[in-house]
Amino acid sequence: MQVKKTNYTVNATPTFEVLTEEEIEAIYFSALRVLYETGVRVYEEEGVEIAHSGGAIVEDTTDDSSLVKIPPWMVDKALATLPRKVVVVGPDREHRMELYKNQIYFGAGSDTPFTWDPYTGERRRATYEDVKNFAKIAQAMPNMDFHMSLGIVQDVNVGTYDRWQYLAMLEGTTKPINITAVDLDGLQDQLEMAYVRVGGKEEFEKGPIFSLYIEPVSPLSHSEEVIQKLLFATDNGIPFVYTPCPLAGATAPCTLAGTAVQALTESLFGIVLSQLRKPGAPMIIGGLMSNMDMRTTVYCYGSPEMALLSAAYTQITKWLGVPMYETAGCSDAKMFDEQAVLEATFNATTAALTGGNMIHDVGYLEQGLTSSMEMMVATNEIVDRVKRILRGIPVTDETKALDVIEDVGPGGHYLEHDHTYTRFKDLIWQGPLTDRQNWENWDLAGRKTFRDRVHARVLEILETETEPLIDEDMYKELRQICELADERHKGEELDFDMFV
Amino acid sequence: MSDTLERLATAVVEGNVDSMEELAQEALDEGLSAQEILNDGLMGGMNHVGKEFKAGNMFVPEVLRSAKAMKEAMKLLEPMLAAGEAQATGKILLGTVKGDLHDIGKNLVGMMCEGAGFDVRDLGTDVEPDQFLSAIKEFEPDIVGMSALLTTTMRAMGDTIKAIEEAGLRDQVKVMIGGAPVTQRFADDIGADGYAANAASASDLAKEFVGAA
Repeated sequence: MQVKKTNYTVNATPTFEVLTEEEIEAIYFSALRVLYETGVRVYEEEGVEIAHSGGAIVEDTTDDSSLVKIPPWMVDKALATLPRKVVVVGPDREHRMELYKNQIYFGAGSDTPFTWDPYTGERRRATYEDVKNFAKIAQAMPNMDFHMSLGIVQDVNVGTYDRWQYLAMLEGTTKPINITAVDLDGLQDQLEMAYVRVGGKEEFEKGPIFSLYIEPVSPLSHSEEVIQKLLFATDNGIPFVYTPCPLAGATAPCTLAGTAVQALTESLFGIVLSQLRKPGAPMIIGGLMSNMDMRTTVYCYGSPEMALLSAAYTQITKWLGVPMYETAGCSDAKMFDEQAVLEATFNATTAALTGGNMIHDVGYLEQGLTSSMEMMVATNEIVDRVKRILRGIPVTDETKALDVIEDVGPGGHYLEHDHTYTRFKDLIWQGPLTDRQNWENWDLAGRKTFRDRVHARVLEILETETEPLIDEDMYKELRQICELADERHKGEELDFDMFV
Repeated sequence: MSDTLERLATAVVEGNVDSMEELAQEALDEGLSAQEILNDGLMGGMNHVGKEFKAGNMFVPEVLRSAKAMKEAMKLLEPMLAAGEAQATGKILLGTVKGDLHDIGKNLVGMMCEGAGFDVRDLGTDVEPDQFLSAIKEFEPDIVGMSALLTTTMRAMGDTIKAIEEAGLRDQVKVMIGGAPVTQRFADDIGADGYAANAASASDLAKEFVGAA
C-alpha cells in the first residue's frame, strides 16, 4: 500500500475543555452587562475620576466610594490596547516567563501565616528564614518557573514585612517573582529594591523582574489600596496580576457560570482602568475561583469546583487574548498527606491541560494558611508527569516506526535497537521521587514511602551549600531599604511570640 | 408541647420562611404567649438546627434559612416581647476593623448570632475605633465582635480595644474577635475576652458570654 504523505505534521497536545465557544461568549457578554448595568463599587476617588473621564457612568457617590458603570464600548477599547503577551524575567534574564495563550508556568503561592517546619515537624508562624528557604527550594525545582513568598515574614515589623519577604526571596532565587505589597509605600520600596537588584530603572523597564499581586474584593468591590496599587503599577511599567477571589455560594453565585461572569466583570474593570491610565499597560487576570465549604465556611483550595472554574476561566482568557493567573498545586489538607497530593495532582493536571499561564499557589496547605516545602517538591514531580502528558503522542512516519517493526520482526525485541537507544530517555518518563523498584529492593532500601522521599529531598536542598545569589554590597543596599522602612514604621512591631 | 409549637419548630428547621408568620399567629390565637412561642417553638427549632449543623448534617445556607424563618416569626412577636415580656438573648455589635473590606466571615457571625436569638447591629467594614465607641454608647451591646482577614489590619483590633478602654467602656462589653490570621494567643495579648475560629463557635461563645449557653 502506498502511504500518502501529508505536507504537515499534526501534533495535538492533549487539552481539557469545559466550555464551548458559544458558552464563553455568553459569559463574556454577560460580564459586559453586569459591568454596565450593575456596576462595580470603587473606593478610590482618582480611580472613579479616571473611569468617569473615560466615559463611565458614576452614580451613588458616598463618603468613601462610588458606583461605576462601564459601557461595553469602553471594554472593547481597553482590550484593543491590552498586551496579549506579558513578559516577566529573573534578575539575570536566564529565567523568563512569556505569558500568553497555552504557555504554562508553575510557581508558589504567597503570604501564608503559618508554615510546616521541615525539621521539627510542627506548624508554626513563618519567619524570614522560612521564606528564604522556600525560595531556595523553588530555585532547585526545575518545574517551578516563578516564585512568591511562601510565608508572611512575622519576625519583623508588621507594617514592613513585604520588603523583608522580597529580600528573602532575592536571597534564595533568581526566578521571576510575583510580589505582594502591604500598601503603596511597600510597593515603592520593593520597586527600589528591584532597581538595585537589576541595575537601575531602565533595566527594570526592559524586563521587569517582578509582577505585583493585586486582589479586588468580591463581589464587585475595588478598594482604595487596590486602585492605588493598580495605578502605581501602571505608571511604573510593573506587570500586575488582577485577581478577584470569589467564593461560589458566598461572595459569588453558587452556579459556577455565575461565578465566572462575576469574576470576569471584576477583572474587566481592572483592564479598563489600567488601559485608560496608560494604553499598553501589561496585566494578567485571574484566577482564584472556588467555592465556600458549606460546613466549615472555608475557601476551598482543593475542590473539583476550583479546578473546573480555573479551566473555564482559562478558556475565557484565551478567547479574550489576556494572560491568565491560574491556581494549582494547593490543597485543603492540613499537612502533607494523601489528600494534599491527591488534590494537587488533580488541580495541577487540569491547569496544565487547559493551558493557563501563570499557575500559582504551589505549596499551599490548609486553604492557603500554611505552606509546605514537601508540597512544593511533590508538585514539581506532579507537574513533570503532566508535562509528559502534554507532549502527547505525535503520529508521523518516523514515530509509527514501521521500518523498525519490520527490522525487529516477529519474536524479536527492541531493547538493543538504535531506535530505542536514541529515544527512550526522552520518551519514557522517569521521576526522581517516584518509586518503581521491585519489592525486594524497596524493602532493602528501607521501605521509603513517597512522603519519606519528598521529605529527604527537601532536607537535601536546604543542606546543600550554594553560592550567594547577591553580593555583599548589593545585599547591604537592599537591606538598608528594608531598615529605612522599619524606621518609618517604628512602634508598629507585632510581638512575634503572641502567635506561638 | 402543643402541636402548633411543634409545627413552628419544624418550620424553623425546614427554613419554611413563608409559613412562619401564619403559624406564629395561629399560636397566639391559641392563647400561647409570645415568650412561649419564642422559647419552645422558635428556639427549640434553632437548637435542633445548631445540633444538626455541628453533626455535619446541616449546611450553612440551611442554617441561615432557618435563622431567616425565625426572624419572620419574630416580626410578629417582637412588639409583644419588647412590651416587657422578654428580651433577646443579648445584643451584639459587629464590624470589620479599620482598613479591611472583607466581610463574609463577619456577616456569617452576624447571621449565626441572630439565629441564636441575639439582637445584632452590624457596622459594616472599615470601621474606625470611634465608630465602635459611639455605637457602644448608643446601642449598649453586651458583646462587641471584631473581624479582620489581613495580617496588616488585625492590629486595628488592638487599637479598637484600647480606644474602648480609654473611653471607660471596657467593663460594659465583652469583646470577641475572629478572622483567618487571628489566634487565641493574639486575642489574649490584645486583651480580648474571647476568640472564635468560625461563625458557629462565635455564636456559642456569645451565648457563653451572656450566660445563655
